[in-house]
Amino acid sequence: MKLSVLGAGPGGYVAAIKAAQLGAQVTVIEENEVGGTCLNWGCIPTKALVASSELLAKTRKLEDFGLELRGEVVPNFTKIIERKNRIVNTQIKGIRNLFKSRGITLKEGRGVFLSPREIRVTARDGTQGIIEADKTIIATGSRPLQIPALPFDGKRILSSDNALTLQEIPKTLLIVGAGAIGCEFACIFSALGSEVTIVEVLPRALATEDIEISGLLEREFKKKKIRLLTNIKAERVEIKDNSVRVFLSDGKEIIAEKVLVSAGRVMNSENIGIGDIGIRKGSSGNISVDQKMETAIPGIYAVGDVIGGFMLAHVASREGIIAARNAMGADENIDYTAVPFAIFTSPEVASVGLKEHQADEKGIPVRTGHLQFRSLAKAHAIGEIEGLIKVVSDKQSDRILGVHIIGPHASDLIHEAALAVSRGLSTKDIAETIHAHPTLSEVLMEAAEDVHGEAVHVLKK
Amino acid sequence: MNPDDLRYHREHTWVKASGKKATIGITDYAQDALGDIVYIDLPEVDTDFEINSEIGEIESTKTTSSIISPVSGKITEVNEDLSESPEAINDDPYGKGWIAVIELDDISELDDLMDAAEYGKFVEEESK
Repeated sequence: MKLSVLGAGPGGYVAAIKAAQLGAQVTVIEENEVGGTCLNWGCIPTKALVASSELLAKTRKLEDFGLELRGEVVPNFTKIIERKNRIVNTQIKGIRNLFKSRGITLKEGRGVFLSPREIRVTARDGTQGIIEADKTIIATGSRPLQIPALPFDGKRILSSDNALTLQEIPKTLLIVGAGAIGCEFACIFSALGSEVTIVEVLPRALATEDIEISGLLEREFKKKKIRLLTNIKAERVEIKDNSVRVFLSDGKEIIAEKVLVSAGRVMNSENIGIGDIGIRKGSSGNISVDQKMETAIPGIYAVGDVIGGFMLAHVASREGIIAARNAMGADENIDYTAVPFAIFTSPEVASVGLKEHQADEKGIPVRTGHLQFRSLAKAHAIGEIEGLIKVVSDKQSDRILGVHIIGPHASDLIHEAALAVSRGLSTKDIAETIHAHPTLSEVLMEAAEDVHGEAVHVLKK
Repeated sequence: MNPDDLRYHREHTWVKASGKKATIGITDYAQDALGDIVYIDLPEVDTDFEINSEIGEIESTKTTSSIISPVSGKITEVNEDLSESPEAINDDPYGKGWIAVIELDDISELDDLMDAAEYGKFVEEESK
């Protein structure tokens, strides 16, 4: 079986390795660098920046920990970016080595379908070749959405990609969009010393998360002096020599050194020849697939951002595995019931499953349990007491339907909840499981107990 | 001790009225129950609040708690110093730890609040 994969991001490269493990002869076509947006422009580089900025923020609290600083800690942005690049490059080498060890061929260039079985690859230097394959997995990803009123110029008006190649920390930064990307960058640059303002057209930050989680994050923004303006649109910009003047829908103006636009992403489904071979696209440019990740053309699959939906690296990887297995003869469906979300703000936000308001909308009777991180001794010991967990469970069956966390290490803590949601565990199952003390993991156990008013470290109501 | 010239609300807030202007804060009992206060989410100036509604939140090392308005009216001033040093509420709840000034909608609301002696008894009952 000859299988080709178009795109080497977390959807494509995982699909390629899985297919190779199952015995396919695999060719991966990638126009830029292996790892895709996730490794080169998204998840990983931003996490490197988060690590630098959070460590800096911690040094501002040295005294609280009984530590004396004789001197000053100052960020050197050039070195922060160098560190980020080293981390990214190590991971790139890792993927290339994985390909090599599995006998996967990497063709560098842009791939365009000529027919369902042929892809023409054009390299940067213009040389062309044809890849023939029995089956293909499309994983071409997405790119930052450009708003007509705020066109990217890479200097003053930045996409999230541009923000990762800045030379220095802007004194003032206006971020358009308070979604996951906007909020992460707000925390990074605020900790590094920028004066940050976010404008959001919706009524709250992280509008897709539970309302209590957004509320707590907004309070943490206030503490960090990150200004959040909600229900407001950035309508027009005027680019000056050293700044940008942004006109807002409420008639006010903001002047900032840089503007970062993080208002969504668009699918990379154009100019890859899929229309010519009969693959259908949805209204937002997403490639339409069934639950087996297969397009309307048999043997051609699509995974990751380019099919829309979650637009998360780990979902892309999961879809890639399903597509690879099905291409190799399996008959599996994708299951999205327990997709964890992780947002690397400070503190972190993570969630899985149903939100309380969604349950209300669906008419499902639920109970909720809460716990504040500050109820845990461990949170005090590590000096990170801000945060909250909320468990949403089915009133009748006691099954855990959703868990929503804001707090230290939320992105690591969510997986016990993801297992509970995916396997239909009850709050009793979690509450009756011994959790090590002192750990942050105790939050889920106590919140599960709180669903029935039985949490130990909560005052009687 | 709870000062005699204040009126007290059952949600452990106090009011000191002078004409239509009233300064509000949380009581000594409340600050003691909360423990070390680390942050206060202050109301915004010019916002109207009903009596018994939440005007802000207080975070202590133990818990997060709503501040319930003891009166109805418009916020005319907030104690900005608390943003930098919220511990003033622990140190001096009836003085430097004041939270906001409200322009009263209806001064007769004060009559329904407790005086120092009544509040003292109320707290005693509640902590039994």
